[in-house]
Amino acid sequence: MFKKGVLRELFDSLFGKSWPMWVGGILLAMMNILLFVIKYPWGSSSGYTNIGQNLFQILGVTSLGTKVPISLHAVALLNIFVVVGAFVSSLFSREFGIRISPVGELVKGFVGGALMAIGATAGAGCTTGGFFTGLAALSAGALTLAAGFMIGTFVALRYLLWEMEALPNISMGKSFTLLTGTGKKTGWQRWLGWILIAVVLFLFSTYTASNSGAMKIIGWHVMIGLILGMILQRSRYCIVRAFREPFMTGEATAPVAVILSILIALVGFTVIKYFGVGNAGEFAARAIEMKGVYANFWLRALIGGIIFGLGMTIAGGCAVGTLWRAGEGHVKLWMAALGFVIMAPISKGFIVPAVKKILPESMQKHLFLPDILGYTGAVVLVLFILLLWFMFAKWNEKTGKFSAL
Amino acid sequence: MQADQNLDCKGLSCPMPIIKLAKTIKKMNSGEVLEMLGTDPGSKSDVPAWCEKTGNVFLEQSEEDGTYKFYIKKK
Repeated sequence: MFKKGVLRELFDSLFGKSWPMWVGGILLAMMNILLFVIKYPWGSSSGYTNIGQNLFQILGVTSLGTKVPISLHAVALLNIFVVVGAFVSSLFSREFGIRISPVGELVKGFVGGALMAIGATAGAGCTTGGFFTGLAALSAGALTLAAGFMIGTFVALRYLLWEMEALPNISMGKSFTLLTGTGKKTGWQRWLGWILIAVVLFLFSTYTASNSGAMKIIGWHVMIGLILGMILQRSRYCIVRAFREPFMTGEATAPVAVILSILIALVGFTVIKYFGVGNAGEFAARAIEMKGVYANFWLRALIGGIIFGLGMTIAGGCAVGTLWRAGEGHVKLWMAALGFVIMAPISKGFIVPAVKKILPESMQKHLFLPDILGYTGAVVLVLFILLLWFMFAKWNEKTGKFSAL
Repeated sequence: MQADQNLDCKGLSCPMPIIKLAKTIKKMNSGEVLEMLGTDPGSKSDVPAWCEKTGNVFLEQSEEDGTYKFYIKKK
């Protein structure tokens, strides 16, 4: 018989200390490939939009509402279970705690979330669906989206540094920390984690017991959401940092982790697209090729990326980063999620139609890179850009040329 | 441990603690010790990594009831 020892050791090695971010990057890329095979590669902002639309529906604002309930929206559920997964994982690792930041920070969270909602809807893409997935899916818009993130992040970081000098009170004042994992009487925390895992298993088996293929797919999103949330929390994988760190501390850890995850997803996605793999003939080969490709090249993605970049830097988490930090108990990120959820339907209802109307067709192209460069050309182009990014991050780590701190 | 300077980052999340840490250290004299308090689990790895990157000396870290305490000596 095994003693408790080996399992305890395994548990402690998983939850005792953080995983390197690049380990998270590899695992997340593998999960993204799974999501692609099951239905559609990883995205997040459409889930926020659906949750917001349901909220407006309940409040009686049907013009901003939807008939698709959260329980039938795969991406909304994926988002919710990323929060659950991060919550479970932070309970297991004794890192959970409700951390109420000073009021000024809470406001920044809300504003950052609202800006992300505008950026993600107006630009047709967030850091996950538009960039991580988009670049691996060979979507041309992902390139200008990334340029937008870089500009937005740079400007917002300058703002944060200025705020620290000119308005130091925003980030000072009363803060509260409740229910932390290292306080007294915390035995219930790990039990709660196990109970939540049991609940997810129950939901998974309920959804997948259905005869409908759509329900089985939703069941898998519940399960994968939980796994994503745990990976994200353990590795503290953060796309904001990948864009911000070169301008802030100069560390290359986050850029390297994100580059690695895109690289792995790129290989998986390209194979899936090239051979038209997937989903029991439900999608034609062309439809599979166009998954993860958005109608936003080039100006639409650039503008959206700038707004999103401002928002994610002020909030301290992108769409997905907000989810896992919310699960860990950061109330500032709860406010960011709230701002995102409220603003996304409003932006989709009013701002997106205006953007689509004003911008000429040539600035919001639905462009799949292999259509103009061939598969080889497109993959080489993305590899080249990842390599440039890697070299910039590493060179800057040594020289600190672009780093403010 | 005796500290020359204190920094309270409780309740703040990434990137605020590191920005504040960098600003505070900048204003200190070489050899002085900073005591930093925070509640973001990310700080457990971010603060030592920042110290290593910038050449400041990371002295020690402890944790009590969800509050992390770091001691850093300015280079």
